[in-house]
Amino acid sequence: MIMMWFCLCPLFQVLVIGDLGVGKTSIIKRYVHQTYSTNYRATIGVDFALKVLNWDSETVRLQLWDIAGQERFGNMTRVYYREAMGAFIVFDVTRPTTFEAITKWKEDLDSKLMLTNRESIATVLLANKCDQGREVLTNNGVKMDQFCKDNGFVGWFKTSAKENTNISEAANFLVKHIMATENDFLKSVVPDTISPKLNDSQPGTCSACYKS
Amino acid sequence: MKLVESVQSCYLIKAKGGYFEESKIYVSSLIITHTLSWLFCLFRGLFSKKHIEPKGLSQNVPGWKLFGKVAARESPPKDSRTIQQEYEARAGKAGSGGTSPTQPQHGRRKNLDFEPLSTTALILEDRPSNLPAKPVEEAQRHRQEYDEMVAEAKKRELKEAQRKRKEMKERFKQEDSIANAMVVWNHDILPNWDNMRNTRRVRELWWQGLPPNVRGKVWSLAIGNELNITPELYDIFLSRAKERWRSFSETGSEADDGASLADRESSLDLIKLDISRTFPPLFIFQKGGPYHDLLHSVLGAYTCYRPDVGYVQGMSFIAAVLILNLDEADAFIAFANLLNKPCQLAFFRVDHDLMLKYFAAFEVFFEENLPRLFNHFQNSNLTPDLYLIDWIFTLYSKSLPLDVACRVWDVFCRDGEEFLFRTGLGILRLYEDVLLQMDFIHSAQFLTRLPEDIDSDRLFACIAAMPMLNGNKKWSQVSSSKHKKTGK
Repeated sequence: MIMMWFCLCPLFQVLVIGDLGVGKTSIIKRYVHQTYSTNYRATIGVDFALKVLNWDSETVRLQLWDIAGQERFGNMTRVYYREAMGAFIVFDVTRPTTFEAITKWKEDLDSKLMLTNRESIATVLLANKCDQGREVLTNNGVKMDQFCKDNGFVGWFKTSAKENTNISEAANFLVKHIMATENDFLKSVVPDTISPKLNDSQPGTCSACYKS
Repeated sequence: MKLVESVQSCYLIKAKGGYFEESKIYVSSLIITHTLSWLFCLFRGLFSKKHIEPKGLSQNVPGWKLFGKVAARESPPKDSRTIQQEYEARAGKAGSGGTSPTQPQHGRRKNLDFEPLSTTALILEDRPSNLPAKPVEEAQRHRQEYDEMVAEAKKRELKEAQRKRKEMKERFKQEDSIANAMVVWNHDILPNWDNMRNTRRVRELWWQGLPPNVRGKVWSLAIGNELNITPELYDIFLSRAKERWRSFSETGSEADDGASLADRESSLDLIKLDISRTFPPLFIFQKGGPYHDLLHSVLGAYTCYRPDVGYVQGMSFIAAVLILNLDEADAFIAFANLLNKPCQLAFFRVDHDLMLKYFAAFEVFFEENLPRLFNHFQNSNLTPDLYLIDWIFTLYSKSLPLDVACRVWDVFCRDGEEFLFRTGLGILRLYEDVLLQMDFIHSAQFLTRLPEDIDSDRLFACIAAMPMLNGNKKWSQVSSSKHKKTGK
């Protein structure tokens, strides 16, 4: 049993959203527990997971919020967007409708959540189940890049929870962006208190700046 | 020396494996002893009536002795029936844990009287004659070590045997009480349902959990059929659903593209996706499983019956539990009526305001009953919706082990929505000490994924300790006052 932590290391709430059955839970299970199963139960409401990362010799904690995918739950689950610092929006490359829903999820997210600097939170697009060999959608990388640019995603990854493709890469990419926005935010709001150590290449280590 | 070690390790495996391993180790020791003897083993396996006299064998092999409980002398040799019984007991244990109905009761009970059999093994007493003899002190030391091991193992096995005996007694007692309860339900209560359902005796018996084979019947009666659904009506909605599936599969997923969001929402695709994610470890609702089509039918018929509600995640779990306990049409009738209860309707319509009122009423009783944990959760920002949504939507069938969930359903059928929230408090009470030590994320994880070994008696003791009283207000008063307050 893990007892109460008084760890002051950075803690980021990360949302994992997207249509029903695109593999949100599988991605999280792969990322956090290094396992995969075809037998996950449907998520009702929200499930939680915690990933502890070593990031440039400091510890970063990611609180993953696995949000149920059914549209009907939208009213109920959007209250959970509140304190998120980053998000994955997931679609299933074998189901075109889940891709079409992406913009809806992104708009929903942006309408509920803005950083204090009026930027939207770092959001990465995941094209999951790429192991299925039916990735017509994502074959055109240039088009996907443009799509991300147009819709405010910081990037996209072809992922497979089943074959462990690109999951931790995508997570690291997201964390990097969260860190960057954190730093930008700190700079813009309290420029005087920035220690010389804080620069773009090295994310902040000032643990007191983060609420645990 | 090496031989002694191997014998010791063989012995240790035995001691660990316990009673049921006995015959296996016995056989393996014979193999070590004498290459020829394995032919005997074969014979023993083939014609189990002709058992081997261990004493005779040990005499055949110079330097080796079978030690401890020499079966031939201290206990009557096993006849084929005993072996058969042992085999059955073992097979029963290895199986699902359920007892096969064909097995006679007394056959199993005989196993209650087993004795610890730790001491059948081998020891190298003297080295074979072609090797130099052991020094005296070494031989003595070996003997002493061996004696200690035997004594230790004997003690351990006796303890283990006592534990097992107690466990089995407990189980038989439980089985007996279930059998008795079944008779009472079938002969006394069900024929006089309306008169007896609210008597103290019945309510108490109900609290203990319903016997599995009257469960469905009692649920049906308790849920009622306010909606007056008949099996014929079910067939009508089912055929309507089938029609929709047909046109759906003909046009394929392409039809999805142009469809409005609302259409997509009610799309039968969702049901298909969710069915395979309903109780996956049971492997009966998955594609190709025996209940896959049944679950599909019940849910499909419901979306045709109640297009205003449609299919909402969580429903698949509820329908599945009903299907496990009722026939198809009865399961549908219970399903539709159950979902028509105010609390379920509020949740499955995702009426957010109404849901928040339920959560607020829950918090009143939470604070009243478990103030320390309540404050702890408040400090860590863990609001009840985070765990209650999962619990209420699935009526605990996802987060609790199925047998425990069914027992919760039993009393939920007796007491109504109040019991769902009371169960929630019982779970929090059961794990209060652990939860008080956890931060937000660990509590949230814990509560959405409860321990699989949760004991139903302990849980129900905790639930019983949660009186649903706030001052002198009952659940219904508190929740209706919440509903009114924001209604203005």
